Amino acid sequence: MADHITSKLNPDSHLILDQPLLRLPFELLRKNFKVAHLNVEKESTALKSTLRETANASLNANASPDDVLKNVDSMIARMRGLKRKLTSCSEEENRLHQQSQSRIRHLGELYGMQSLDDVKYEQWSRTRLDRLLVDYLLRYGYKESASELAQEKGIGELVDVETFVQMSRVSESLRRGRVTEALAWCNENKKDLRRMEVCFFCSILRGYLLMDVFQSKLEFTLRFQQYIEMIRTQDEQKLLNAITHAKKYLLPFKDSFPGEIQQVYGLLAFPPGVGPDPYAELYSDSRWSDLSNLFMHTHNSLLSLPPVPLLHIALSAGLSALKTPSCHSLHPPSSTTSICPICSTELNDLARPLPYAHHTKSHVESDLKLLPNGCAYGKRKLEEYARKAGLDAGWYKDLRSGEVYRCEEATTVYIS
Amino acid sequence: MDNLLIELAKLRRDSNLTESIQDVDKILEQLEAARESIVQDPNSASFTLAKLQNPLKHGFDKVNDDLKKVHKGQSAYGRALDKNLPHKELPFDIDGLASRPTLINRAISMHLLREGQFQVASTFLDEAQENPPQPSPMPSTPNFSEIDETELPSLKSRELQDKFSNIHELEKRGSNLEFELSKLQFVWLFLGPSVNGLPNDMHNGLSGALIYAQQHFQRFQARFLKDIQQLATAMAYSSNLQDSPYYRTFDIETAWDDVSTSFTREFCSLLGLSAESPLYLAATAGAIALPTLLKLYAIVKEKRTEWTTRSELPVEIALPRSMIFHAIFVCPVSKEQTTDQNPPMMMPCGHVVAKESLQRLSKGGKFKCPYCPGESIPSQAREIIL
Repeated sequence: MADHITSKLNPDSHLILDQPLLRLPFELLRKNFKVAHLNVEKESTALKSTLRETANASLNANASPDDVLKNVDSMIARMRGLKRKLTSCSEEENRLHQQSQSRIRHLGELYGMQSLDDVKYEQWSRTRLDRLLVDYLLRYGYKESASELAQEKGIGELVDVETFVQMSRVSESLRRGRVTEALAWCNENKKDLRRMEVCFFCSILRGYLLMDVFQSKLEFTLRFQQYIEMIRTQDEQKLLNAITHAKKYLLPFKDSFPGEIQQVYGLLAFPPGVGPDPYAELYSDSRWSDLSNLFMHTHNSLLSLPPVPLLHIALSAGLSALKTPSCHSLHPPSSTTSICPICSTELNDLARPLPYAHHTKSHVESDLKLLPNGCAYGKRKLEEYARKAGLDAGWYKDLRSGEVYRCEEATTVYIS
Repeated sequence: MDNLLIELAKLRRDSNLTESIQDVDKILEQLEAARESIVQDPNSASFTLAKLQNPLKHGFDKVNDDLKKVHKGQSAYGRALDKNLPHKELPFDIDGLASRPTLINRAISMHLLREGQFQVASTFLDEAQENPPQPSPMPSTPNFSEIDETELPSLKSRELQDKFSNIHELEKRGSNLEFELSKLQFVWLFLGPSVNGLPNDMHNGLSGALIYAQQHFQRFQARFLKDIQQLATAMAYSSNLQDSPYYRTFDIETAWDDVSTSFTREFCSLLGLSAESPLYLAATAGAIALPTLLKLYAIVKEKRTEWTTRSELPVEIALPRSMIFHAIFVCPVSKEQTTDQNPPMMMPCGHVVAKESLQRLSKGGKFKCPYCPGESIPSQAREIIL
């Protein structure tokens, strides 16, 4: 049976909330490399073929020297462009390397600590809380607060402001009813999105479901939304456009989303405001915020970021671990003990629906005395409080209500 | 983590994009040289271009090789990452807070204020108010800026005055703070101008301390007679305080910090707030609890079992002593924690069981205590508050 009190610190199992800290820069590093690779591939094919064509043209005397020179100049310009792109990729790479290094060092500090009571652990844990807070703020789109906090605490290397700012730009635009940014993002990450889809189907084959089908669903839903917006206008030209749009972008998905494809065609028959429920729902504005959430979910799983703020996970676990039945009890806590975090105003309501910690052993003062009013306190505590309150020897004062009793009136409580 | 750091260093050293840039530069040079020779001699254009084809191809092959190296390095680092920080599925389904961002926002803003991050807190409040999906996050915020902005700096800058409107409240709570403050002021004056830097007149030094004591110590006499006696006797040792038995009382450096923490604690508990940031404690406790909870979820998933009590965690989680705040009573008969509905009951013999256990044991009649030979009837047992 686990012990009630521990101060053991096992760094390997302790680093659970901190996985994204190293995963994200790594994913970004890979993404950055892919951008560099793609550019090199593109330019090398283009350049090789331009060179071949120019050489042939020049050999067959089809091109004037000026044309040749112009082609060579354009090749040089392309190469310069490539160099510029690679240089910026290299800078990004360097930044990510540097960031990973700081983060590994930060996590490594944990391995130098002896126990949970170590002062250094407290420091470290405070930094962790700051990281979790910044993560939370960014996920809810509180960019300014997040950057200010990161700056105040000097933890810029440990948080991912930039990534989340980009994400919230896209999700904001979705909330405001624009799909352009989100589609551009889909296009940028086409390959990875497809890879994730494959992974997803593998996991189905293996017989368990890791997460919902979010991947290609994003692009489909975006295109579907565009379609709905065209139908919404009920303009004849737009309706024709909508049908073309559906053929081009929606039909390819008919195997993955057969139900939705039926709705696509059904929708033509129901202009806004008249259709029965599944169609009326399609015109609802709330679809935009669903879309925004879908985007965030896809974005996060693509970058190995957890779908919910880490603060939620840490707090749910922490609140339950700290919560006792007394935290929401009708009896006020005794006044001399320091106030428990769950009883404190900040977290009290938050913790209300959560389960309380499980205990198998009683944990009370060993020298309990019961006062006539039904409250029990440790004898030493009662004596100290009486002394502080300036009572004569032989008197106790209740720590909650302040009632004063003779020592003889208190009876001993035996907790087994 | 040291291994990972080494892997990263390897990655930085051997597999970065700089080489590929250098090789792109070489291609550029070749192109520029070719252009130069075409400008010099336009007739040689076709020859120059034909000659350029192979070097260009090789140049790009070289760039691709560079990239391959980067890719290889990244994969190696990825493997090291998997090994040193193995992926652990986070228990997202325990997120019981997603639906209550308002309360979390409130907790965060109070935490920021408590930590003295007033600027960040005010930015946060503005942003949270602007953000429409969030309801207003601030039903009420106790006045932390009051402590931190006025009281703490002045405590630390060592201009101590009696500034308590809450004195009676404090006295009722049995707080020593007021006396501690007065005592500190006495000591402060006693040590004289060389330490406290106040003007050297009759209100400073030994005489100043004496005057202060006469004015302020009177009402503490009942409660703190002994301390006051000590302070007064110490005056006799004013010339060689270092060697006196009262030296510890006059060790000013620790005293200021002590009073400062004690002040924060008293201020917070008057407002019904804990002294340490609850958010910090909860997040830390969460991190400590997570490994155990993860293990539990893995077992639950594997065995496809579920626990039935939703009001209590199914496993015991060990926390450091500093995170235990309440007395916990587990009924020795039912092994359940007592609650308001099922409170602890003390039998005449002094042993305690939960109310439900008592009812089950007694079935309404006379029964024997499970721990001693004492017999009693249920009505003799009384509810106790721990």
